[in-house]
Amino acid sequence: MLINPVEKDQKRISDLELATGETISDCYQCGKCTAGCPASMDPAPSVLIQFLKLGQFELARNAESIWSCMACLTCSERCPKNVSPAAIIEGLKNLHLRDMDPRVDLETMSRDFLARSPQMAIISGFRKFI
Amino acid sequence: MSDKPARIPYYPGCTMKTKALGFERSAMDCAEVIGFEMDELKDWNCCGASYPLTKDNLMGLTAPTNILIEAERRCQKEEVDPNLLTLCVFCYNTLKRTEFALGQDKKKLETINAFLDRKYEGSVRVVHYLEYLRDVIGFDNLAKMVKTDMSKFKVAPYYGCLLLKPQKEIGLDDPEDPVILHNFLDALGCKVIDFPAQVDCCGSYLVMREPEKVSKLSYDILADANEYGAETLVTACPLCQSNLDQSQGDKVQFADLDGMPILYFTQLLAIAFGLDTKTHKLEEHHIDPLPLLKAHSGADSESK
Ligand code: SF4
Ligand code: SF4
Repeated sequence: MLINPVEKDQKRISDLELATGETISDCYQCGKCTAGCPASMDPAPSVLIQFLKLGQFELARNAESIWSCMACLTCSERCPKNVSPAAIIEGLKNLHLRDMDPRVDLETMSRDFLARSPQMAIISGFRKFI
Repeated sequence: MSDKPARIPYYPGCTMKTKALGFERSAMDCAEVIGFEMDELKDWNCCGASYPLTKDNLMGLTAPTNILIEAERRCQKEEVDPNLLTLCVFCYNTLKRTEFALGQDKKKLETINAFLDRKYEGSVRVVHYLEYLRDVIGFDNLAKMVKTDMSKFKVAPYYGCLLLKPQKEIGLDDPEDPVILHNFLDALGCKVIDFPAQVDCCGSYLVMREPEKVSKLSYDILADANEYGAETLVTACPLCQSNLDQSQGDKVQFADLDGMPILYFTQLLAIAFGLDTKTHKLEEHHIDPLPLLKAHSGADSESK
């Protein structure tokens, strides 16, 4: 893939840093977050961060893999540079959700799921996907 | 924390009153035997379940702060130590992280106080039931209260994520190599099965969007526990319980694995105390734990 830094994306990346409290340039791409991530994300957490480091905001924002993060915090706990990939990913998801672009459809959610799931699954799901 | 067990303010959360009734009831029955009372807050709201991870998270902190205020007022009024007991791991994580965030960031605290139009002074310490058993009661003392021979139980202690992480905010135990559940099971006299997947994620709320992934993750955890010789697995989290238990209904993913009952640690504690488990909802688990419980403890299956 050819990577061309995009100037206007720099502003959106610093906004993301402000919202999440993370400093993207702190990441030195060791890959430890990706190694421990149970979510089989592709692009993986460290790759999403590399996109941002390269100024490729849209590649990170539109990556489908951000929706597979389950906030287990393994990445954040293990990062030797005190970066929280989980927070950055949540910041990316929030951009969609605040644009009223939900990722689960309540209309089609199975009644069986709602009936048997513990409340925190449903409430967390609402927070992360709607 | 005071060293005398007594009445301690308790925040249940939504799941404890619905899908995890057996968790709450077994915990309360055990508390009575141990000698403390879980004193439910009178006026409580949902904590929001998942702690918001980004820094612009003020709205997400209002619900848990409201709970801390309720607890603070109660403790001040009754002149007891400002502790708030929790059982549900999601609630524990959310409330504990809120306690930490507000302790660190006075400006955040002031903003939330202004928004809620109530004043939180920042005195409450959120405590998990397991932590209370370890630090106030003591696992040694717990061991002396055990009535049932538990030596036949081969139990895998499963921690998952939110009981331990992030360590610098929760501080309960080492997130990579925890021992608190191991030591709890030791005190009960169970055979503790140490297994590598004990801190792996079950898939959490992803069950709403990608249940197949949750099945696969649950399978990996249970296959690992099984390989190390476990017959049952204990957890403190209703979502882990649900994911690990209900995923076993996926007969394709679980084709080569016999059903493994998933218990709340307090349900096992009740068995160890020889309590009547009738109200502990064991019969509602997807994988029926009663045959195992009966075989190993002689406990009767009245709860059927
Ligand atoms: S573990 Fe930290 S430093 Fe390493 S790649 Fe991930 S975010 Fe970057
Ligand atoms: S928090 Fe998300 S990105 Fe980080 S390890 Fe867990 S699933 Fe992967």
